[in-house]
Amino acid sequence: MTQGELLLFASAVLFGSVVAGFRWPRAWLMFVVCGAITAMAAAMWTLQGSSWEWQSTFMLGGQPLHFRLDSVSAWFLMLVAVMGGAGAIYSHEYWSDDHYPDSAPKGRVWWSLFLTCMGLVLTVSNGLHFLITWELFAVCGYFLITLDRQRGETRAAGWLYLAASHAGTMCLFAFFALLASHNNGSWELGPMRERTGLAPLFWLALFGFGVKAGFFPLHIWLPSAHANAPSHVSAIMSGVAIKMGIYGIVRFSGWLPVPTAAPWVIMGLGTVSALFGIAFAFVQNDFKRLLAYCSVENIGIIMIGIGVALLAATHGDAAWGRLALAGALLHVWNHGAFKSLLFFCAGSVLHATHTREMSRLGGLLRTMPWTAGLFALGSLAVAGLPPLNGFVSEWLIYLGLFDAAAGREPIAWFSIPAIILAMSGAIAVASFAKAVAITFLGRPRTSTAAHSVECGIWMRGPMLALACICLAIGLAPNLFCPIMSEVVAEWRPGQEDIQALAPIATLGAAQMTLALLILAATALLWRQTCRKDLRHGRTWDCGYALPTARMQYTSASFSGIAANWLRRLFLPERKLRRPRSIFPTEAVYMEHFQDAVLERLISPAAAAVQQLYSAARRLQHGRLQFYILYVLAGVAGLGILVMIGGGQ
Amino acid sequence: MEREGLVNETLNLVIGLSMGLNLVAVGSSRLPMLIRAMSLQGVVLGVIPLLLEHAQFDWRVVGVALATMVVKGVVIPSLLRRAMRAANIDREIEPFIGFVPSLLLGAGGTIAVVALALNLPLLPEHAKTLLVPGSLASMLTGFILLIGRSKAISQVCGYLILENGIYLFGMLLIQSTPLLVESGILLDVTVGVFVIGIIVDRIQRAFDSLDTRKLTALRE
Amino acid sequence: MMIIANLILRLTFWLLLAPLLPGVINKVKAWVAGRRGPPVLQLYYDLAKLWRKGVVMSDLASPGFIIGPAVAWVALLSSALLMPLGPAGSVLSFRGDVLLLIYLLALARFSLAWAAMETGSAFEGMGTAREVSYAVLGETAIITAVLALIVHSGSVSLITILSPAAGAGVALLAAGLFIVLLAENCRVPFDDPSTHLELTMVHEVMILDHSGPPLAVILHGASIKLLLFTMLLVQVVLPVGEMSPFIATGALAAGVVLVTVGVGLVESLLARLAFRRVPLLLTVAFLLCLFALLVVWKGRG
Repeated sequence: MTQGELLLFASAVLFGSVVAGFRWPRAWLMFVVCGAITAMAAAMWTLQGSSWEWQSTFMLGGQPLHFRLDSVSAWFLMLVAVMGGAGAIYSHEYWSDDHYPDSAPKGRVWWSLFLTCMGLVLTVSNGLHFLITWELFAVCGYFLITLDRQRGETRAAGWLYLAASHAGTMCLFAFFALLASHNNGSWELGPMRERTGLAPLFWLALFGFGVKAGFFPLHIWLPSAHANAPSHVSAIMSGVAIKMGIYGIVRFSGWLPVPTAAPWVIMGLGTVSALFGIAFAFVQNDFKRLLAYCSVENIGIIMIGIGVALLAATHGDAAWGRLALAGALLHVWNHGAFKSLLFFCAGSVLHATHTREMSRLGGLLRTMPWTAGLFALGSLAVAGLPPLNGFVSEWLIYLGLFDAAAGREPIAWFSIPAIILAMSGAIAVASFAKAVAITFLGRPRTSTAAHSVECGIWMRGPMLALACICLAIGLAPNLFCPIMSEVVAEWRPGQEDIQALAPIATLGAAQMTLALLILAATALLWRQTCRKDLRHGRTWDCGYALPTARMQYTSASFSGIAANWLRRLFLPERKLRRPRSIFPTEAVYMEHFQDAVLERLISPAAAAVQQLYSAARRLQHGRLQFYILYVLAGVAGLGILVMIGGGQ
Repeated sequence: MEREGLVNETLNLVIGLSMGLNLVAVGSSRLPMLIRAMSLQGVVLGVIPLLLEHAQFDWRVVGVALATMVVKGVVIPSLLRRAMRAANIDREIEPFIGFVPSLLLGAGGTIAVVALALNLPLLPEHAKTLLVPGSLASMLTGFILLIGRSKAISQVCGYLILENGIYLFGMLLIQSTPLLVESGILLDVTVGVFVIGIIVDRIQRAFDSLDTRKLTALRE
Repeated sequence: MMIIANLILRLTFWLLLAPLLPGVINKVKAWVAGRRGPPVLQLYYDLAKLWRKGVVMSDLASPGFIIGPAVAWVALLSSALLMPLGPAGSVLSFRGDVLLLIYLLALARFSLAWAAMETGSAFEGMGTAREVSYAVLGETAIITAVLALIVHSGSVSLITILSPAAGAGVALLAAGLFIVLLAENCRVPFDDPSTHLELTMVHEVMILDHSGPPLAVILHGASIKLLLFTMLLVQVVLPVGEMSPFIATGALAAGVVLVTVGVGLVESLLARLAFRRVPLLLTVAFLLCLFALLVVWKGRG
């Protein structure tokens, strides 16, 4: 038995689930989970150090079939399998037939297809087939996002996603076509690092994959798509689908020669994404949008790692590059785990309260303790706090940057991103303190929030599983070292063990100790508190006797200070009517943070283009006589062209 | 040789101090603080001619240095303080460019000019010192103040810091420029500030404000 | 065996000595104002009393109200244990431990924010919002300072980056870190620990509803944090690694006392800043650290 057979089995099972999805939800679930586990096994096998390749003479679209599963693609396949399985279980309750009789079967079918396409993207090794599966993957994503077609917002988000995605795919078309033409018409993919002439093509790949990954100026589709999609879809989009973009960048930066400016550009884009992504996240009032912008930040962090690795590769394969790449790769997993967890929790809140507006929630900890606790765990992880997994990967990236700074190379000043990384880390702490506090703590602000109910076991199970992954990577990071080294070595050959470069075992021990100390101290303080007379009273509120739920700090007031610092950057839409006269009637203060890039840059440009075309539409007015005149003019024009160019 | 190193180090320290004062000037909202930073910078820069290499002791250099220190450190600030008191304002309230952004701009600009000066084809004896970046940084600060502030007095300070930058640049040519020119500039500046002091008072009386934005009404 | 003894000694040092610092600061303040002031050991008495007292919990609060302070305390104590103590070195030192230290401080901030927001009071919300927002600038300044030290020493673990003298730019670094110390520990001019006017406070207003043992834990954690930052500042300035152990211990102690007295003097002589001016001062701290980094970079050639 080889990985190939496992993969074949997985795809057969997933194909079965496509059929089962229409009618039999339980069978579908079983098939998907079965397929996911098989794919996981294949990925794990490959990550142990044996890659798999299969070539056939069978032609598809004039190209021979060629599959390959090496450790880089296995790393991402693992992510797809875990999150795909978890999301399927989650959706069994979240998007069930009882609630959504129309869209639930469609959702199941598209989910299976989506997973299959992602698996194929990761395994095909032929440019043409890559493009086909990539396009199918994007389209499946569109149908998943727009499952809830009744809402106009969702449809708009879906269209934006589709448009952005195709702008990216267009570049990829150019990229693969040019690659094939440079390779004498062969679409086969594989390592071709020594052919320096191919370097400029990398820019096309960067743009094409960048749209999918959603780093800063290309992230425009991401917030609305992730916020409006059903939560299990948001989870897989954010946790896995955008990682396909990262996969593309990692894959082709490993296989192709890279222009000298590319590491700097990637690092710059990563830095900008990290800072702006999290800054925008902090000022959001919609918790799913907050999570979506936070994905932009995390993609930025991953990009910084990749940029550092590329720079090191051009400077004699310095060890710090490998550390940063290991950090970036681990962050791919980590972000997949904690962001999916957070989106699942968000889905559970949405399921119970039907609102994404944080300022309409509050006090959910009382009614939904599981969701609240798991959201808190996810928040700690996403903010990169020890002892969880987010810290481990950020620590590796930082260590790469610091090692570069400590080294005596003249290019070491690029370690400046470390400063921005720290800044975005602190804003992430602030953002998630806000998300947790406004949504789950305090007093319920509305009656829906007060009467919410905890989600069921089918939703809680996958959430718990993801939380366990976060804990495992956080507390025992050294277990993941060998496979990480494997992937790093596959990216650009070189025999270095990550464990030898970074004291990751010591870090793991420190994190474990920290976790135990936290448990001990909590127990001690708890005992001491409960031993004495523990009384309950009203929140003090400085002596005010009748506090209402609406007097609590809201999401906008929490981020008000920082929002004010970055006013120029966010360009918020503001409406202010001050109270006037002695008996003021009505006062209004409204602040709305839309996406600065989309609303101030892309939309005006699109409007200008539209205006241009609507000028052209004036030609089409419905009068037949003029249409005949156009035909005549066209023929005459052609005639003139022939007369002028007739000599040749 | 050792003496030269020591001189260069002292010179760099002095210019570094003046760069720091630039940032103080850019980041302070109180006008007295701004005036103090500006005048201190004038005094600090006045020391420089004494530090530079001279073949023999030249009493004119000492004279000009002393005159600069007195004019920039005492005369001009007192004129400005008087104008400030007359106009009855002591802080910049609504700058065009906020204090944190202008501070960041100033710091970024300082870093940029240091980087720029490293790549300029300077004489070897100038390349070791911070003279060129220091003068560019002061000029940049002057421009930030001139552009970013709305009160006339802050703008005058900006102008004076700009002048400090030019003065520092002149130090590069101290061997070849007659000190007479430098003294002439000093005189011009003093007279200029004197005149501005009077004008500020008039503006205040005529418009009841020192906001130069309101002067746009005078464009016809 | 040695390591356990080392650990115990270290724990005793941090646990027992930390509450001394606020006492010294208060004494200095009283002395400048011409009062006699509370005894230096006041915080010890307060902590002992609070630990024995009962707790009043808000109706809205969940167990997080108690867990938060415990986590914050553990995080602060662990980061203190990572900090080398001059000639005594460090109990656990590995490459990149400095990051663990910085992120542990962030963990403490997060869990205190959680505990504060449990109560659903607008005042706690206000304090938390301020705390987490200002920390953004503070943390940026700290990492810049750390980067300067890393570039200077050419290594990435705390014990080696703190042992040599910081060389050129040390004055800039010290000034920057001192401002960060004031901001992170909520001292004047960022916050006034002695007022109880809720509208103007940062840290104090976050713990308004806490009482009894949880409050004791919070206060003790805050004093550990103050000692931690003082230690950091002193070791950045002093080349403890190049002195003999005896002198180094003396110098370290003197330095800590000096910084503490300095905080007291600042607190006596300065007024609290207006809130909209706080970012300016923190930006100054960041710029000081940034210039220190550049000077170090230039100096290394």
